Amino acid sequence: MKKSWSIAFLLVLAVFLAGCSDSSSTEENENASEGDVKTVGSEDAEVELSFWLFGADYESLVEEYVEENPNVSIDIQQISMADHHNNLFTALSAGSGAPDMAAIEVSEIDKYKGAQDKFYNLNEFGAKEIQDNYLDWVWEIGSSVDGEFQFGIPTDIGPTAMFYRKDVFEEAGLPSKPEEVNELMQTWEDYEKVASTVLEKTGKVMVDNPETVFNAKKDQAPEQYFNKDGELIIDSSPYIKDAFMNVSGMIQEDYIGNYELWSPEWGEGMSNGSFATLPGPAWMRDTIKNNAPDAENWRIASMPEGAGNWGGSWMTIPKQSEHPEEAYKFLKWLLAPEQQLKSFKNNGMFPSTPEVYEKEEFKNITDDYYGGQNVAKIFADAALEVEHVHKGEQYGDANMEVVQGLYNVYDGADPEQEWEDIISRIERRLSR
Amino acid sequence: MSQPQPKHEHYYDDKQVEPGIPNQKESPKRRQLSQKKRNMISGYLFISPFYLLFAVFGLFPILFSFYLAFFKWDGLGEMTFVGLNNFVIIFNDPLFWKSLYNTIVIGLMGTAPQLLAALLLAFALNSALVKGQSLFRLAIFLPYVTSIVAVAIVFSVIFSNQESGLVNSIIGLFGMDPITWTRSEWGTKIAIATMVFWRWVGYNTIIYLAGMQSIPKDLYEAAKMDGASLRQQIIHITIPMLKPFILFTVFTATIGALQLFAEPQIFQGRGGRPEGISVVLYLYRDAFSSNFFGTASATAIVLFVLIIIISTINMYFTNRIGGSDKVGAK
Repeated sequence: MKKSWSIAFLLVLAVFLAGCSDSSSTEENENASEGDVKTVGSEDAEVELSFWLFGADYESLVEEYVEENPNVSIDIQQISMADHHNNLFTALSAGSGAPDMAAIEVSEIDKYKGAQDKFYNLNEFGAKEIQDNYLDWVWEIGSSVDGEFQFGIPTDIGPTAMFYRKDVFEEAGLPSKPEEVNELMQTWEDYEKVASTVLEKTGKVMVDNPETVFNAKKDQAPEQYFNKDGELIIDSSPYIKDAFMNVSGMIQEDYIGNYELWSPEWGEGMSNGSFATLPGPAWMRDTIKNNAPDAENWRIASMPEGAGNWGGSWMTIPKQSEHPEEAYKFLKWLLAPEQQLKSFKNNGMFPSTPEVYEKEEFKNITDDYYGGQNVAKIFADAALEVEHVHKGEQYGDANMEVVQGLYNVYDGADPEQEWEDIISRIERRLSR
Repeated sequence: MSQPQPKHEHYYDDKQVEPGIPNQKESPKRRQLSQKKRNMISGYLFISPFYLLFAVFGLFPILFSFYLAFFKWDGLGEMTFVGLNNFVIIFNDPLFWKSLYNTIVIGLMGTAPQLLAALLLAFALNSALVKGQSLFRLAIFLPYVTSIVAVAIVFSVIFSNQESGLVNSIIGLFGMDPITWTRSEWGTKIAIATMVFWRWVGYNTIIYLAGMQSIPKDLYEAAKMDGASLRQQIIHITIPMLKPFILFTVFTATIGALQLFAEPQIFQGRGGRPEGISVVLYLYRDAFSSNFFGTASATAIVLFVLIIIISTINMYFTNRIGGSDKVGAK
């Protein structure tokens, strides 16, 4: 009898714990992995459009659209970013199950560029006419290499700037106001000088990890891993190698920390001021705020030698859609400058339409967390600086090997030797 | 009083059916066959849901991955036949051999001490030495019902690279330098093996415990009468009698170890690194982060063959546990 009670208790507890762990892991993914589908619009609308997203909150705008266009209803499906892209890939590969409209993130979009037959060319619906509304470099990321095929319309973007800790700069005896820091760190050489002062005076590292500073430098290069014919060029093109060697040098000078992106200690470091700067995009504002809600010392300066982009999505219409015209009409409206301004105000999605940057109500947005800086304007200026760089289908693979190599240098590998290894690792992957 | 009654009724029922049988025999052959057939059909219908689901979600993907292993395919474009080239690529890839080495080493580090610990824990729980047995049983089983993701996240905090991390602080007390757990050759393996150990030791303990409770008490009593020590009791009674249970756990632990995936993936983050990459993580990276489905399928086939080989070797050795002349040998 006693045994059966303990078994029953165990079962109840097991169910309870399983429930707990489930909910905690879904919180991890920000959204439930099973997906969260919501229909906006009347049930007997003539056209029903399905819309796959991974976090971007467009609900109020969709409601607005459906009110004006009662013949359309829209099913919004929200799931985690990884699941979203997996599902989309599977549906496109299988030839059924894809939605009428799907967001694709910047790190994923190059994978699809070889599959033009799976998407509608938005130029067929007149996308060329709205092209001028968007920043050139953002528009080009959503196009084929020759520019003839438009995969998607840009949503938000992630222009980058230099986040820094005012208190660490003060402790090191350096000027700490944003304008002064802009002045102080105009080039990467200046940045290294500041790093050496910070290390000497405070014992702290300049930057969280090798990856963020490498990304910042890489994004300023006119060409990266592949040329437009898809050939690996890092052996002959100087930019990636220079960035790698440069960051390796900073590692060896102990300017760079070991706080890996998204690790718990990374967040802790933001809050404790363990590193003086963090090169990051517009959305990093909220990441820092969430990780260090009580810190009052984060400020934003511009990126030395010019901004890059980290993040953003494009809205595509898969070929499986039966209502591409209606889908295009909706997307054109949703991503027009006026709506992008609303998305920025409501959800902090940084607009890809430069016209918004001129609006007073945009320019005057300040953030008390960052000492009342005009945050919108800082990132708008950064967005205007960015240049388009061709990435290529296997960009992710190549970049991963270089980042891994940087950590190997951190752990003591010789940079020259590691560079040779990186090239052979990338070539081995490309041979598959 | 209530027990004999149903028995009697049953008996009575049988008797009533019996006179019916000759009747059936008299009816035409066709009908009898169709009755048999009908039984057969309904039987197959009853088991069909599993087989249909298995065919769609299990068998088809398995066969398809055998097919894919001979093609180059990015998931969206055309498939091109490449013969055995995918196998050539992975066998020439040092990272594949590294992943295989990692899988086996972490497997040994995670499962061998774990099964031994589980056996001892089960023995302790089964003996009268421990008070509050059900509490301990419960406590030891808890890790098994925890989500792997949660486990990996908690362990990555424990095995933090920073000097202030829990394990690094503890080894610091003994004057050791902090270890870069996520990127050093042995640090990574120790951390992952610890995770595997912690999560599975309770499951195996419970299985051993169930096995021990099925051993008749009189064997121990007889052994005690003959003056057998505790050690002798374990070696000559417990272990031989547990043989089927040990076989089962060694089997599942081996296969589980070869399929190691979530722990290194979450512990090392994103694409993983050479220190902790397992074979499954290697093929996962090929398939789902680079879209090289051909080489991923070829790796899966290699893994499949490997599991068969290692399980066979395992069975051969585990079968010899306890020898042949002992009580449990039958």
